[in-house]
Amino acid sequence: MHEISVIRTIVSTLKEKYEGNFDKITKVEIEAGLLSNIQPVLIQNAFEALRLELPELMELELEVKVLPIIARCNKCNENFEVKYHRFICPCGEPTKEVIQGDELQISKVEFIKT
Amino acid sequence: MSDLRTPKSNRMPAGSVQCDNTTLNLLKANDFVAKAIKDKLPNLLVVNVCSSPGSGKTTLMQETGKLLRDRLNIAVLVGDPETDRDAVRMKEVGINALQIVTGGMCHIEAQMILQALDHIDLTDTDLLFIENVGNLVCPAAFDLGEDYRVTLIASTEGDDKPKKYPRMFLTSELMLVSKSDLLPYVPFSIEAVTKDAREVNPTLEVITISSLKGEGLDRWCDWLIEKVEEKKAKNQVAQE
Repeated sequence: MHEISVIRTIVSTLKEKYEGNFDKITKVEIEAGLLSNIQPVLIQNAFEALRLELPELMELELEVKVLPIIARCNKCNENFEVKYHRFICPCGEPTKEVIQGDELQISKVEFIKT
Repeated sequence: MSDLRTPKSNRMPAGSVQCDNTTLNLLKANDFVAKAIKDKLPNLLVVNVCSSPGSGKTTLMQETGKLLRDRLNIAVLVGDPETDRDAVRMKEVGINALQIVTGGMCHIEAQMILQALDHIDLTDTDLLFIENVGNLVCPAAFDLGEDYRVTLIASTEGDDKPKKYPRMFLTSELMLVSKSDLLPYVPFSIEAVTKDAREVNPTLEVITISSLKGEGLDRWCDWLIEKVEEKKAKNQVAQE
């Protein structure tokens, strides 16, 4: 999908949050749930492409972690992993309650220690 | 050029890296604007209409506008990567419409809706449709401040879409199976599509329609009227 705009949002979010320390950031970890429609390879390539435009990203490393979909069953009060997009608990109960899987967020930022 | 690059983190000896575990939502800006849209439109129902290209969104909007002409004031914000053809089609049948040209973008973002609201007169409007860009992937991730998301799936596009594009069907409240007049001619099973869609979203409502022949449009219109009334009643309670 819109990988370049995701990368731009990563950069602007980091700048907003870490202001003066932006240039000390060495690595950013992104968590993308399986429902976010984010493809790690495409994100990495978009990042490489944008790096050519924005020298400030030259030294930055990006890692994308894909999170599986976890849903909650209200009958057995247990969480279970949703595979093949079947939102049905092993006990047979359908559910809509997504605990994890639709997130698109920065989860970890590493800096040079000063 | 990028081959020569060595990331700083690789050059640093162990122990010299400081780590910040955090949660910074990358869709925060969109969700913030979506909330602002919701707050701005407390008394009219907003329905985000999604589908693949060519599933019959615009034809459905036209027919809905004609059928509900005497009962609801309807406006449409219609998104397309290029051209204002769909807004012209709405206006031809007397619907208050504004085209959002996304400039090649594959989805509408909340910011585009917020800006469009300054250019359309919504006085006395009961129901605002947002006709999204034809695409079952990207629009699913963008909240536009809508009350309900409705996804069309045409009988001609195959009954395997809900499993291929799960997030869209997961985040919709209603699925409209469109072009039902063509069902006798295509290998499309309403049972199969409903079963797959409900494995993704067990509370999904399903209505089968044909905009051209009129089948199911009464149920669709009843659904809309019910939701408009619910929204108005809720707003009235909030004001008291």
